[in-house]
Parts: sequence; C-alpha cells; structure tokens
Amino acid sequence: MSALCDPPGAAPPGPPQNPAHRAHPLLSSQELAQEIKAFLSGVDPVHGNKLTIKEHARCAILLLRSLPPARSAVLEHLRNVFDEYVCTYLLELESSEAGLGARRTQGPNLDDVVQEIQNVLSEFVRMNPKAWAPVVSAWSIDLMGQLSSKYAGRHGVPHASSLNELLQLWMSCKATRTLMDIYTQCLSSMISTCPDACVDALLDTSVQHSPHFDWVVAHIGSSFPNTIISRVLSCGLKDFCVHGAAPVDLLFPTAADKRVPKIASVVGILGHLASRHSDSIKQELLRMFHESLGPVRDQQQKATVPFLLQLAVMSPMLLGTISSELVDSLKPSVLSQLHQHFAALPREDLENMVSIVVHLICQTSAGAYRILQFLVNTAMPASVITTPGLAVHDSVREACDRIIQLLLLNLQKLVYNRGSASLGDAPPRAVPFLDELKGHVRELCVETLRLERKRFLWQHQLLGLLSVYCTPSCATDALFYLLTLARSQEELGLATQLYAVLSSCMSDLLPATVKKCVCQIHTGGLSEQHMVQLFHNLALIVQWEGEGPASMSTQLGTVLSLHLNDLGQLLLHRNPEVAEAASLLLSVCPLPRAIRPAHLLVIIRSAVHQFFLVLHRQCPTGISYSTRLLSRLSGASPAAMKAILQQLVEGALHPGNAELFGGLAKPPAGDDTSLEGTRISLLDINRRFTTAVNFSGSVWSVFH
Amino acid sequence: MNDIRHSLLRRDALSAAKEVLYHLDIYFSSQLQNAPLPIVDKGPIELLEEFIFQVPKERNSQPKRLNSLQELQLLEIMCSYFQEQTKDSVRQIIFSALFSPQGNKADDGRMILLGKLVSMAVAVCRVPVLECAASWLQRTPAIYSVRLARAIVDDYCCLVPGSIQTLKQIFSASPRFCCQFITSVTALYDLSSDDLIPPSDLLEMVVSWIFEDPRLILITFLNTPIAANLPIGFLELTPLTGLIRWCVKAPLAYKRKKKASLSNGHLTNKIAKDSATGADKDCHLLYSKLHLSVLQVLMMLQGHLTEKNLYGRLGLVPFDHVVPLVEEINRLSDELNPLNASKEIELALDRLAQALQVAMASGALLCTRDDLRTVCARLPHNNLLQLVISGPVQQATHAALPPGFYPHIHTPPLGYPAHAAHPALPAHPAHPALPAHPVQTFIPGMTFPYRPIR
Repeated sequence: MSALCDPPGAAPPGPPQNPAHRAHPLLSSQELAQEIKAFLSGVDPVHGNKLTIKEHARCAILLLRSLPPARSAVLEHLRNVFDEYVCTYLLELESSEAGLGARRTQGPNLDDVVQEIQNVLSEFVRMNPKAWAPVVSAWSIDLMGQLSSKYAGRHGVPHASSLNELLQLWMSCKATRTLMDIYTQCLSSMISTCPDACVDALLDTSVQHSPHFDWVVAHIGSSFPNTIISRVLSCGLKDFCVHGAAPVDLLFPTAADKRVPKIASVVGILGHLASRHSDSIKQELLRMFHESLGPVRDQQQKATVPFLLQLAVMSPMLLGTISSELVDSLKPSVLSQLHQHFAALPREDLENMVSIVVHLICQTSAGAYRILQFLVNTAMPASVITTPGLAVHDSVREACDRIIQLLLLNLQKLVYNRGSASLGDAPPRAVPFLDELKGHVRELCVETLRLERKRFLWQHQLLGLLSVYCTPSCATDALFYLLTLARSQEELGLATQLYAVLSSCMSDLLPATVKKCVCQIHTGGLSEQHMVQLFHNLALIVQWEGEGPASMSTQLGTVLSLHLNDLGQLLLHRNPEVAEAASLLLSVCPLPRAIRPAHLLVIIRSAVHQFFLVLHRQCPTGISYSTRLLSRLSGASPAAMKAILQQLVEGALHPGNAELFGGLAKPPAGDDTSLEGTRISLLDINRRFTTAVNFSGSVWSVFH
Repeated sequence: MNDIRHSLLRRDALSAAKEVLYHLDIYFSSQLQNAPLPIVDKGPIELLEEFIFQVPKERNSQPKRLNSLQELQLLEIMCSYFQEQTKDSVRQIIFSALFSPQGNKADDGRMILLGKLVSMAVAVCRVPVLECAASWLQRTPAIYSVRLARAIVDDYCCLVPGSIQTLKQIFSASPRFCCQFITSVTALYDLSSDDLIPPSDLLEMVVSWIFEDPRLILITFLNTPIAANLPIGFLELTPLTGLIRWCVKAPLAYKRKKKASLSNGHLTNKIAKDSATGADKDCHLLYSKLHLSVLQVLMMLQGHLTEKNLYGRLGLVPFDHVVPLVEEINRLSDELNPLNASKEIELALDRLAQALQVAMASGALLCTRDDLRTVCARLPHNNLLQLVISGPVQQATHAALPPGFYPHIHTPPLGYPAHAAHPALPAHPAHPALPAHPVQTFIPGMTFPYRPIR
C-alpha cells in the first residue's frame, strides 16, 4: 500500500486549491488586534464567552495567515486540537468496544478543523517549501511522537511491539493520519533538494519517543525507502562525526551510547526497513563504504568506516546484511586503499578498530566460512604462483594475519569461558561464527589436510575450537573426517594432534569417533575408497609405538576391539580392497579377553573365506594380512584354533578351491547352466548374508 | 534596581517580563523630568536582559523560558505599551534600552524579539512602534539593521503568502519606517549573489511605494539634523545609493542567476521556464520604473540641498560607494560572456551613466570627472557613459589645449585614429593587459572639475 505513494512530489490528499489567488479577506488592524486578544485569552472579546475548541482553532488559523510572528505560538496551540481529537477518538473506541455503541457524545467532531489545519499548512508548504517544510515537518513529527507516547498506555492502544496493529490504529485516526500526510508532503517537497532538514527531525523524535513512535518510522520508511535509508544514514554519519570528534573514552565504552544517541535511532529505523528493503540497505551501506575510500577526503568520509563498524556492532541485522557482500568487494585495490586510509590513524584507534572487527567476525553467522576463507587467503604469504596484479600489499597481509590471530584468541576466550552448563546458569553464550562453521567441518578438514604453510595451522586450531564449542558432534566429525581423508603419515598426524588437544577436555571422544565411523560404514555414508583409507589409517595409528596407556594408539586398539563384530562383517565385502583393508585392521587390532564365541566364530568363518578369496586373487599383501589375521585369531582361544583348522580343511576340500591345490576346476552341473555366465557362487552369497548387513536390493533378501 | 530585581525573581517568566516594563517606564519617566536626555545606564539594561531576554544572571540558576504562547503575549503587551505611552521620549528611551545592541550574548535574543515585535506592529499597525523602529534603524550599526530587515522580509515576503499586502499598507501609516526599511533592504540585498537578489514581492512593493511618492526616499534626510560627516558603519541617510545599485546591477545579476539555474539543470520543464522568464520580465519593468523614480528624486534633491545649505558639502551618493559599484559591474560583465550578455551590459551601463550624470548635476555625487574617468576606465565601452565622463564640451579656447586639437562637440568615437595618436593609449586592442572588449578611453585635456550650474 505504502509503496504506491513513493513518487516524489506526491500531492497530499485534499481538495485542489489555488492558494495564491484564493481571497483571504484582509483584516483591518483593529480586527486583527481583536483576534490576537481572543487567541491569547481564549475568550470572545465581543460577547465575552469562552471560545470552543473549534473557534479557538479557527482563530489560530486566522493568525497563522495574517500575523507572521505568531506562527510558533499558533503551531503550539494547534497541538491541543490534535491531542483532543486523539483523546476523543480513543474514548469512542473504548466505549464501542465495551458494547456501549458508537456514540458521538464525547466531544465535538473536530474533523473539519483538522482538515482546515491541513489545508493551510499544505498550502504554505506548497508555496515555499524551503522555508516551511523544515518547520512544519518538525512540528508534525514531534506531535506524532508526543501523541504516540502519551497514549501508549491506553487500553485501546496496542502494545508497541505489535507494529502493524499500532499502524492500523493510528492511520485510521484522522488526526494522526493528517499529521502523517503533512509530514509526507513536506518530505516529498524537499526530496529533490534537501531532505535532511526533514529527516533530522525524524531522527530526533525517534530518539525521544521510541518504541511508541516506531509506527511512524515504519510508515514513512516504507513510503520513501530509498530516501529514508540514505538520508538516515547520512544524518547518522553527520551526527557521529560531530560527536566522534570528542576523544573516545576507552575506559567507559558504554558512555558512547549516550554520546551518540542518533545512531541508536538509525539502527532502529533501518531495523524496521530491513524486512522489506534489506537489498537497498545493503547497497547503500556498500556505497557509503566504497565512497569513503575515494581520494577526496573530508572529515565525514574519514568517519565512515568507524561509523559503519559502530552500526554493525549495534545491529546484528545490519551486520548480517552487509558482511558477506562486503567481503566479496574487498579486492586487493580496495584493501590497499583501506590500508592507506588507516595508516595515519593513531595506534590506539587502530587497536580499537581491530578489536571491533574481531568482535564483529565472531558475531557473524551467514557467510562466516566465506569470511574465514577471505582472511586466510589474504593473510597467506604471497607465493610465486600468485598473479602479480592480485597480490596484496605486505602490510595488508600482516594486518589480516593479525586479525586471524586475534580472532583465534578471541574465539578461544569465548569457547573456554562459556561457563558451565549447570542448571542455575543461563544457557552458554552462542558464538554465531562457530555456529555457522559447524556445517563446514568437512571443508575445513579438507583444507587443513592440504598442509599449506600457516593456513593449516590456523585451520587446525579453529577445528579444535569448533570441536570444543559444539562438543561432541563436531569433535567426532572432525576426527572422523581427518581419519578418513588423510592420505599420508603427515596428514594423519593432524588427526592425532587434534585428538591430543581435545582428549584433555573431553572424555569418551575416541569411542564416539569410532562409533561414528562404524555408523557411517553401516549406513553406506562412506565410499569404498574412503573405507579403505580409513581402515589403513586406523591400522597405522594402532601400530604406532604407543607412549603409554593414554596414548591414542593404545586407546584406539581398545576401542576398536569393541567393534570386532562390525569390522569382521566387512571381511567378506564385495570389494576385495575393502575386505583386504578390514583384514589388515583386524590383524593389528588387539583381541579382547572375553569375546563371545558366536562373534568369534563368525569372524573366523569370514576370515577363512576371505583367505581363500585372496588366494584365488593371488594378491600378496592380501595374503599376508589374511595370514596374520588367521594366526592372531587362532591365538584367541583353543576353540578358535580348532574352528580355524576345521574351516581351513573344509575349505581345502571344497571343489571350488580345487585349482588352488593343483586340481582342475569342476565343470558346472548341467542344471546350473543358466547361472554359469554370471559365475555366481551361491555359497558365496549365502556366506555374505550371514555376515554383511547391507542386503537390501537383492532378490536373496526375500529368504533372510 | 536591586529591589525591583528581587521582587521580579519571585514571579513567573511572563509576569516578570510585564513587571519589568512597568517599573522601567516609571523609572525613565521620572528621569526624563529631571534631565532632558537621561543616560541609560547598566542597571535597567541588565534587568531587561534578565527578565525579557531570559539571560540568567547567576550561572547556576535555571533560566526561566517563555514558551511561544507566552512570547506572543509579551509581544502583545509590548505593542500595547508603546501604543499607550503617549510621551515619545519615554517610548524612545525604553525602546532603545530594550533593543540597542550591547555586544553581549543577549544580542541574539534581542534581535529575534525585535524582529517579532516590529513584524507584529506591522500586522496590527502600531505606528509608535514603527516610528521607534525607524529611529532604531537609523542609529544602530548597519549589521543589526540588516538583520531586522531580513526578519521583516522573511515574514512578509517569504513565509506567509499574501501577507505582503499588510506590509504595503504601512506606507500610509509610517512613511519614516518605510524609508528606513527601504534603506536597510537595499543594504541587505546588494545583488552580490543569487541569494541576495530581492524577492519579487519586496521589489514590487518598494517600487510601488516610491512610484506613488518619490519623496519617500528623502524623508529621513529631510527630518534629520545633519552632522557634518556621516558616521561609518551605519545606514546611509537615504536609500539612493542602494537603489542605484539595484537598478544598475539588476540586468547583470538576473542574467547570472538565469545562467546558473540553466547550468544546474533546474527549470528543465518548459512551463517553469516560461513562468520564470515571465517573472523576470516583470522585474525588469519594475527596475525601469524604479530607475525613473530614482532619477526624479535625484533631480529634486538639488533644491533640498540648497535649502539646507548643504549643496556641495554633503554627498548623499558618496563617491566611496560608487567605486565598489563600478568594480562590481566590471567583474560581473567579465564573468558573463560579453557576447551573450551584451544587451544586459549595455542596459546596466546606460543606467549607471544616467544615474552618475544626474547625481553629479544635482550635487548628490561630489567628485571630479577625472575621478570618474579613473574609476570607469576598465568598464566595457558604452557611448552614454563615455559622454558622461567626458563631460560637457566647452567651446572656450583653452591655453592648455595642444595646438591643432579640435574639441569634439559630439561623442568622440573611441578607438578611432584620432586618439590612436596618443602615446599613452595602446592602439592595439589585443594588448594583454586589456580586457577583450573595448575600454573607456579618456580624452586628454579635459581636466576641469565639475561645477554645478547655479
């Protein structure tokens, strides 16, 4: 609705008039003197009776037209008319709500006087906007503020938080709607020349009467979104400049809020507009930022970046709006401009600003990963492969480096000082930056595993913080990814280091991680290749020289042995590499003292079968793993040894294995011809069914 | 004074303001009985500052403030007071105690209240206030007078549409105020920038006043005992210089304004442009009319000066003010491209020439033609001006004339070979030191001081 009245110079409602030539009867000076007396005393000088509110208002309008120095007194007096109107309106509303019917007995109907006031004021504004618009707009906006505050507590008035209801109430009241129209006219008449005069009044009143005044801001803002956004920002900046000139009190930073009151209403107003015009706000903020870096620098331009930072500190909404786009626009040229811009600042101010930046980054959620990437990329030392034009200035790089370090430090503080989650405490403070990064654990792990200079150290540290921040899910995720994706001893070292960091403050981390791995395998969340990698990595860690009972390798062995059954199932995986890797892992994994015979037997059966399979495939490493596994299993118990022997013998006598022992493969039976081509062994499939879990999608699942 | 102050401190702002007027009225009335010209000392002024202009005397005291309604009441009371006080001398002394600038921080409040009071007096036609204001304008430094003028112009010419008619009517009520008002607005609007071009309503009113009775311009001059030399920094005795400035500079100033607005991209739509040029045409007519009136007044002046025995002794159009005027015209015509603004430059120079000639002839401008020549040397060429600065050609043979010199009876054409012979005159128009357009040349051998014809 309001979007329709945006065009500048929109004519206010009301009958068209030709003010210049409308005949105002020129009063004689005696008559005028009488009118002044009447206006001041409120008494009819001829008849001696008290003037009604209507007569008094008409008298005021007359003075407005014929006694120039009386204008402020007249405007002051006319406030009463609007006040009276609103009061009556609300009384009627209340009585009709109470079921008394809409009686118009509360007072005189002031509609026509309000209309007359609007007519005269809008005529004046039309005749000479430059002189009248600032005065009239300030008057109308202040009056709206006053009225909305005054009647805020009334029964019929909705609470300040329900903006739409409030807007509906006030816009259906003729007095306030008229004031709104008057202000709108002023603003649209000044929009092309100097809207600041009108917007300043809006800001001042907003400071004074928020939140009851918010409906006005919302309405005007959505009527003139672009003007309001840009003017509100520029007025705020102007105000910030004036107040910012005073030395900043570092000891009492809270005093800043009192010093710069306008910025609060800037934040409030933009907050209203954000729901529907966040794009315009974003554009305007970015425009301010980039313009401030231009070569011609006045005081205002210099204050722009601190101003924007301050805005972002005060409004998470604005921060969210701008942060991701801002990062995209920080090209090397912009960065060096920024650097030049701040090179001259005193050290204290710089420190102050950097800490604000770090604080803001911690508060950023959307686009956090992009910001991190930007920082890390920028802070990376230039290498030979960097395009010469795209390289950033050394000092810019250093600054970024510093910001990352401070960021990590700050995150560390936030993460470790969150307070215990005991019952009495408030829920631990959220760190939006880390919350957002939760979804990027995998990317972070991949990046870290690249082991690029510096970068991986930061990322590794961040992974640690992230793990502590949202324990245990992130911790297990991170370890799981590192364990799965590491492809060398060195890369695998990252996983053990991370574990070393985390194990001190987290119990049961390793069991949870292994459980996660097993679950991933069971749900098919891991590709076969990754499974192979994971088993090799785990086996590698278990084989590392353990430094003691607390070391990762010892503990991992213990934890893995709890999952023997799950791992054993994989010995008969259809991918021979997976099966091989599983047998490697099982062969290095210590066997628990008390293992259930049923489990053991299943593993033994699988291991033996796997043994014959690798023999068929003539794969030396596979054979060695299998052999090792069988010998280890045979040591588990005498019964196990017997079972292995039995299985081996049975296997050796199986016709399918005849060729391993120099025999000929038995030609398939006549009734098996249909299956011959596919070379499917029924026995093989059956064995798998007893072990593997993943048997969906095959015809054989019907029988099991 | 201290007793009064203590009694006033207990009152609210408005009644204290009322009371202080009452007390000072009694005080000055009794003073006037003792001495014809009492000195306004610090006591009453401080009282007024404290209780009318609300400047707190003690640093920590909370200043009482009048709200706008109370202020209007106070204005009404003051208007009535001056209306009812029959003694002019008491009125004058109270007005002066109230509104003479003291050079302190109360001056701003003083000026604002004065503006409102006079504005109100105009609306309700309080002649005594206007008369007091006229005297105030005359004896107050021009920087303050100009502020009062601006307050009145803002109220009646800019803010309230149609109210100019009210101000216009003052003509019959207080011509003395009108005269001083014109002097101050001509000092305020000196056309030095686009903002300082008089609003058209104001121009129209001033012209209609003067056209109705040109003697209006001279009222202050005729009713004031003239001191031998005029004080500096105050308004002139007549608005003549200011009005001459208006008429002469107007064609150039309007042209500059038009140029600026065109280059700014304003008035792009045709209707606005048309109405603007229409309004400008009206203004040009008004300036022509005004110019005629000014010339008529200058013609009248000779008799008045003779009557007052000031002829040749008092320059009502001071030469010191002509010099900057000529310089400004020079600058303006340089600034405007002479090719585009030749008509305007011509008109401006014609008016200047006429005004100078008549002013000299009537004894309002006291200077020699040599002085004029030097001043006007760099102006663009204008035939009439050339005639004026060369002065009436006298047939009487002169020993000083070089042999073979033939005095011209008519305009000596400039830049013609007859003068190119003169060594001091560069014959080449493209000389770097000279402006692109032809300049006024002076004719050698015409060195007689101007003597008015009796």
